[in-house]
Amino acid sequence: MKFVDKQPSDDTLDLVCRMCPLHLLEPGDRLKCLKRGQVLEVLTDYDGALEDIPEWCQKFGQEFMGMEEDEDCYKLYIKKVK
Amino acid sequence: MYSEKVMEHFSNPYNAGVIENADGIGEVGNPVCGDMMAFYIKVKDDKLADVKFKTFGCVAAIAVSNIVSEMAKGKTLQEAKSITKKTVANALDGLPKEKMHCSNLGAKALAEAIKDYEKKKYG
Amino acid sequence: MKSLDMKNVYMDHASATPVREEVIEAMLPYFDRHFGNPSTVYDMGSKVKQVIEEHRAKVAKLISAKSQEIIFTSSGAEANNLAVKGVALSLQKKGRHIIISAIEHHSVLNSARFLERMDFEVTFLPVDEYGLVDSGRLSRAIRSDTILVSIMHANNEIGTIQPISELSAICREKGVLFHTDAVASVGNIPVDVNALNVDLLSLSGVSIGAPKGIGALYFRNNLRLMPLIHGGIQESGRRGGTENVPYIVGLGKASVLAVEELFDKMNHLEKLRSLIISGVRERIEHVKLTGHPDKRLPGHASFCIEAIEGEALIYMLNQHGIYSNTGSACASKALKTSPVLVAIGTPPDLAQGSIVFTMDSSNKIEEIEYVMEKLCLVVEKLRSLSPLWRSKEGI
Repeated sequence: MKFVDKQPSDDTLDLVCRMCPLHLLEPGDRLKCLKRGQVLEVLTDYDGALEDIPEWCQKFGQEFMGMEEDEDCYKLYIKKVK
Repeated sequence: MYSEKVMEHFSNPYNAGVIENADGIGEVGNPVCGDMMAFYIKVKDDKLADVKFKTFGCVAAIAVSNIVSEMAKGKTLQEAKSITKKTVANALDGLPKEKMHCSNLGAKALAEAIKDYEKKKYG
Repeated sequence: MKSLDMKNVYMDHASATPVREEVIEAMLPYFDRHFGNPSTVYDMGSKVKQVIEEHRAKVAKLISAKSQEIIFTSSGAEANNLAVKGVALSLQKKGRHIIISAIEHHSVLNSARFLERMDFEVTFLPVDEYGLVDSGRLSRAIRSDTILVSIMHANNEIGTIQPISELSAICREKGVLFHTDAVASVGNIPVDVNALNVDLLSLSGVSIGAPKGIGALYFRNNLRLMPLIHGGIQESGRRGGTENVPYIVGLGKASVLAVEELFDKMNHLEKLRSLIISGVRERIEHVKLTGHPDKRLPGHASFCIEAIEGEALIYMLNQHGIYSNTGSACASKALKTSPVLVAIGTPPDLAQGSIVFTMDSSNKIEEIEYVMEKLCLVVEKLRSLSPLWRSKEGI
């Protein structure tokens, strides 16, 4: 797992309290609203997302930048590359 | 929710009223907890010559008051004392469970009026 | 006055409204012709998904919200549950204190009581004699661990409208989320989530001519909300269960009509309300108007009539074809008094004689005249039976 520290982002998608498979559906939709090169921060309290989101990025050709653990959730960063 | 009998007695409570110079008066309940009944009786030859009532309360309370006064009229005091919440509810073809206390109240008000009469008479 | 032979004067619109013909018509195709499951990918399903989103937008527009801020629920009660429990459970690490008013609907009140059992703390804010929450009192009740305040927009039993924007501003300033139950107000007065400045708002189809069994919760964008019904991806994962498509369409259609007709409806209802209030004041003695005289729902007139009991009053009006309501009884059998009437300081014996008329566009002026005539008659009859009235007359 890659870790980042105080990674700036252009938009935040808060998925805390929401269950699988929302973490695999909503990032794609949200990324559509971003420009290439911009960074999406995804907040989740589902540990399955730590495996799923990097995999999802690889599959759909987006760049997984890393994660940071927050008090009550994980913060994952995706850079839009296409 | 209510039987036809209940609605009949509620719609036309023909025994409602006050007996001036009643031989006995029984008041039970209080408006704070919901129902209040006042029963007035006239006694002749140890029998209930007349029974009237005033009631503050729900549909069941009014129907109960009317049927209790109807049941009591013409009965001896001893017979009237045997009117219970069960006989009252049966005479009305039943009451909803949460309204059973009304039938109790009716029987109690009548009993109180008789007690009042006996107290006055026998001291 | 000529004797009107009226049957069915319905004056209990707070309990239920008839489903509008236009609404039924809009709903019908979604029972059989377009029955597909919105979660499926083929066009029979995806088209229905599209329809849901179109109607979500209509409901959003009713309260000036954004589409993605609306969650469809099964009722206003579910929306209230989701707001109170959903926020509390998602923010419990931040704090475990919530504040509600003393006159909330049972669905808010009992959600709060449920949270108390889960070691949350609840403050019940008292109201004044009109049912209004005092903003100073609210401000003082907020603590560092307060996470949610829930105060209803308008009360269905006494009609009083709260100064929501004033109350929500206090919460916004202190970083506390604000929820309002707008079930009684939506469709009767303007309801704009931005003007009210609220984070969550509940509404129901029951009060706007949609069927029973559909409601919605507005939640401000990006708010964390723990679902109460876990399931699939419906409602963006915030409420599981296959969407109730016909009813969602019904709520959407009813919302459009409510927006179009609001101001005409308000004008009409204000006229009826003032007729009934002035009529009661002039023709029946020893009566108290409950709730606020001006800050009240346009179609809402509620009274406590001395020396008689509400249920008997309702049944007797029923016999004249008039349908009205009495205060909601307390769950406790021992004390029959409505908690709302107690909260506004009504003496318990007076509170027994509670009667509530809630009107809609369909009510006519002639009906009010008929209701007044019969109400006077019925009150007189019940008072003639009442031992309490005897003492009033001084016999």
